[in-house]
Amino acid sequence: MSAVVHNSIPTRVLFVHLLLLSIAVAPHYQHLSFWLVGFYFALALLRLAAANQTEKLPGRFLLLLLSLCGFAIVALHQTRPVSKETAVGLLVVVLGLKLMELRHRRDVYITVLIGFFIIITQFLYDQSMLLASIMMLVTLGLTMMLVEVNFIQPLKSPWFSLRKALILIGQALPIMVALFLLFPRLSGPLWNLGLDGQSAITGFSDTISPGSVSHLSQSRAVAFRVDFSGQIPEPKKRYWRGLVLWDTDGYSWTTGKPVYGKPESYRVTGVPVQYEVTLEPNHQKWLFSLDLPAGNIPNTHQLPDFQIQTKKPITKRFHYKQLSYTDYSSSGLSNAKRQQGLNLPDNITPRMRELVSQWQNSAASNRDIVNAALRHFNQQAFIYTLSPPALGSNPADDFLFETRRGFCEHYATSFTLLMRIAGIPTRVVAGYQGGEINPHGEYLIVRQSDAHAWTEVWLEDQGWVRIDPTAAVAPERIERAIDLSNLAEGAPIQFQNLDPGLLKNLIRQLGFGVDFINARWHRWVLGYTNQRQTELLSLFGLDFLKRSTLGFAMVAVASLITLIITIGILRSSRKRIDPILKSYQHFCKKLAKQNLPRFHSEGPKDYAQRVIKQRPDLADSITQITRLYIGLRYGQVNSGETRKFFNRLIRQFSP
Amino acid sequence: MDLTLNFSRFIRRATPDKEGSAELTARRIYILPTRYGFLFGVLLCAMLAGSINSANNLGFMLTFLLVGLGIIAIIHTWHNLLGLQLQPKQARPIFAGQEASFPIQVENRRNSPRPGILLEVAGKIMSGIDLNSNESGELSLRLPATRRGIFKPGRFTISTSYPLGLLRAWSYVELDLCCLVYPEPGPNTQHLNPPSYTPSATGDRGVGTDDFAGLRQYRQGDSPRHIDWKAAAKGQGLKTKLFGGDRANQHWIDWDALPGFATEERLCRLCRAVLLACESQDEYGLRLPGIIINPARGEAHRHQCLAALACFESEPPK
Repeated sequence: MSAVVHNSIPTRVLFVHLLLLSIAVAPHYQHLSFWLVGFYFALALLRLAAANQTEKLPGRFLLLLLSLCGFAIVALHQTRPVSKETAVGLLVVVLGLKLMELRHRRDVYITVLIGFFIIITQFLYDQSMLLASIMMLVTLGLTMMLVEVNFIQPLKSPWFSLRKALILIGQALPIMVALFLLFPRLSGPLWNLGLDGQSAITGFSDTISPGSVSHLSQSRAVAFRVDFSGQIPEPKKRYWRGLVLWDTDGYSWTTGKPVYGKPESYRVTGVPVQYEVTLEPNHQKWLFSLDLPAGNIPNTHQLPDFQIQTKKPITKRFHYKQLSYTDYSSSGLSNAKRQQGLNLPDNITPRMRELVSQWQNSAASNRDIVNAALRHFNQQAFIYTLSPPALGSNPADDFLFETRRGFCEHYATSFTLLMRIAGIPTRVVAGYQGGEINPHGEYLIVRQSDAHAWTEVWLEDQGWVRIDPTAAVAPERIERAIDLSNLAEGAPIQFQNLDPGLLKNLIRQLGFGVDFINARWHRWVLGYTNQRQTELLSLFGLDFLKRSTLGFAMVAVASLITLIITIGILRSSRKRIDPILKSYQHFCKKLAKQNLPRFHSEGPKDYAQRVIKQRPDLADSITQITRLYIGLRYGQVNSGETRKFFNRLIRQFSP
Repeated sequence: MDLTLNFSRFIRRATPDKEGSAELTARRIYILPTRYGFLFGVLLCAMLAGSINSANNLGFMLTFLLVGLGIIAIIHTWHNLLGLQLQPKQARPIFAGQEASFPIQVENRRNSPRPGILLEVAGKIMSGIDLNSNESGELSLRLPATRRGIFKPGRFTISTSYPLGLLRAWSYVELDLCCLVYPEPGPNTQHLNPPSYTPSATGDRGVGTDDFAGLRQYRQGDSPRHIDWKAAAKGQGLKTKLFGGDRANQHWIDWDALPGFATEERLCRLCRAVLLACESQDEYGLRLPGIIINPARGEAHRHQCLAALACFESEPPK
């Protein structure tokens, strides 16, 4: 019945609404100051405590005081230059204050809208599937809140509004997909607000010093994923080349000034490996590719020593297609480069020179010297460890003669120095080695723990040859991943067992499954860029659509979807008349023509009795039709035969 | 107001059919965003700009989902009014100065509910209703009646912002709503009610109200006030007391008895006289220029007299 339009917020709606907003705000505790998030939650609790007694909410004066307090917290935590945290913090404070004004139904709209905005700010920090799913549920809940407050009478149970919200979101989804896929993407930002500070993300820097790779190696974070278009190369060929380090000051190694120029000449044999890399953001400019990269990646520089650099640091997940030859030989070393490959720091000790001269004396070629050095690492008591002891100001000497415990960067850098002493041009290469194959997606996951450093030596007849001194100490490293469970200082590295226990295997399999979903999430959802958009369009032969025409296409597709949904809604609400009832109505009409209409209040049985009294000649057919009608419409009779028979009876019925 | 009146000729509105009911058809429904809908639009623009700027795909997804939600809400809001049936019901007569209430039957012939149906006049919400599937309900339009006569409230608006409140669909409706407004009862005029005894030609039949005339067996329909409760308490069964006096207190309420008053003032005073006569259970008649209502009693008679006053020198009630 008609009612006065209520304006208060039903208690259940209020509670659920507060809960949803709090879930939307909660993840910000990681990014905002404790006081900001605390301020919001204090106000939310206050609102919860007041429940339906809105007169208990703070009055105008107290509200002003609270506002000042909130904005003061934002101002106190403001950084210079203005960061996005300030903007987000302001939003959270405003939402908290708006809760104090949440008295009437119309106030719910404002808080729901701010809630939507808070959700989108979460995605600035975290784009994981988990967060996205939670926020999707919150969006559904907030939609439900809007449905609830549009009822005149408060709903007793939430099911109706939940159903309605699900229908609305469900119908909005196809439109979302169309807009998402077709919205013209820009390759860069519209404007740079400078709000994105660099956060600590693991990855290679352009310097390598003792301990830097081993530190990186302790992270299980994914560095990049690789989809191969053919066979995945065997582990010992999976050297992911990144940086080439030429210069050292005796402690750390750097890439030196990048020299742009023609790449070193090389000859290749065999079939190239084709693959697509999805690189996680690392705030560096290095791209990683299998030895030896031959492809051309747009918007990058290829340096002569086969380093590939992007023009800007990689702050977002980055896709690139690459082509590599695993069998190659290079030739032609310029004098400048030869000199750079022989440069020695000042802190070369006599015992290092002595060690090298021992090898030189017994060697017939440079190749023999290299082999002697590798034998040295292999036969002497060198230990491969993730937690090497601290080294002094001359790490190479300390490592070679004192500690003899080190990770790949120790072996690679000291080996390079030894070779340079012997007059063999050598450079340090940093990158990743190995990677895990995810059986679900047949792609390779390369983690930070696969970080590796090796060397390349110049042999006159072969050109640059990759030498991995670590392999001389720990050949397993090349075939298997490191087991990170034992990291005590100086402890030798344990490699992952090839046949782990059942439980461990199960956990690993589960991990692969999760990574597979995550990789697809990254690839198709988060990694959907203008490049992928073009690829997708070209699949349908639509790649002629650019910017404005694509915009038109987007509007057209969205309109078409809307039209289809509209037709669906209109059709679903059209009343369908039961065909049985229709036939029976036809029967009644025939009788009505004989001045025997059925009254509104009359059931089929009563009607039949009345008609038979007046027309005993029709008794048989009327009884039969009525019996069948009752059986078909209200009873258990439900066979096609009976229905056909019933319809035929009515057609033939002629009073 | 002037503007709306001129404008009103051009707007589409739902008008009643032969049976007096109106249906909100597709072309009669208007739809526009509400205040919050506009705010929602601004929010979406900001979200889109932010998503483009940070090339944030989840941001795009949320933005586009909300865009989709907004578009879908247009259809649902419009559909919530589509095909709604309205039919006026009889409004009870009132006195000028009181609030007239026009009940309007709203019928949902659809297999899905239609919540949040509002009735508005000049932007003010009068009443609202949540209709279940295949359900009818009643909305009421309440307006103060200032003048006697037949009160036609004219156009009103049926609106809804269900499901999301971001959009408001509405339809202008003109139903044949009317309410009879009696004149406002004026001050009592003493000399207007001189009792004139006109003895009944058939004698005292005991159907008056003044003098006790005897008892008879209770019959269904007798007023409980006339039951002899004392006798009933003694266990003598229900008896109805009969009163005589149908010959007494018959008088005329006469227009000509109030010279010197303006027409409206006269009608108000006559109205008061009718009410007083009713209260005292007198038999009364009404004489207006050109109208003579013979003396009688009862509700129908009262209505006849008051209606005559209400419509005096204006169009008569149907």
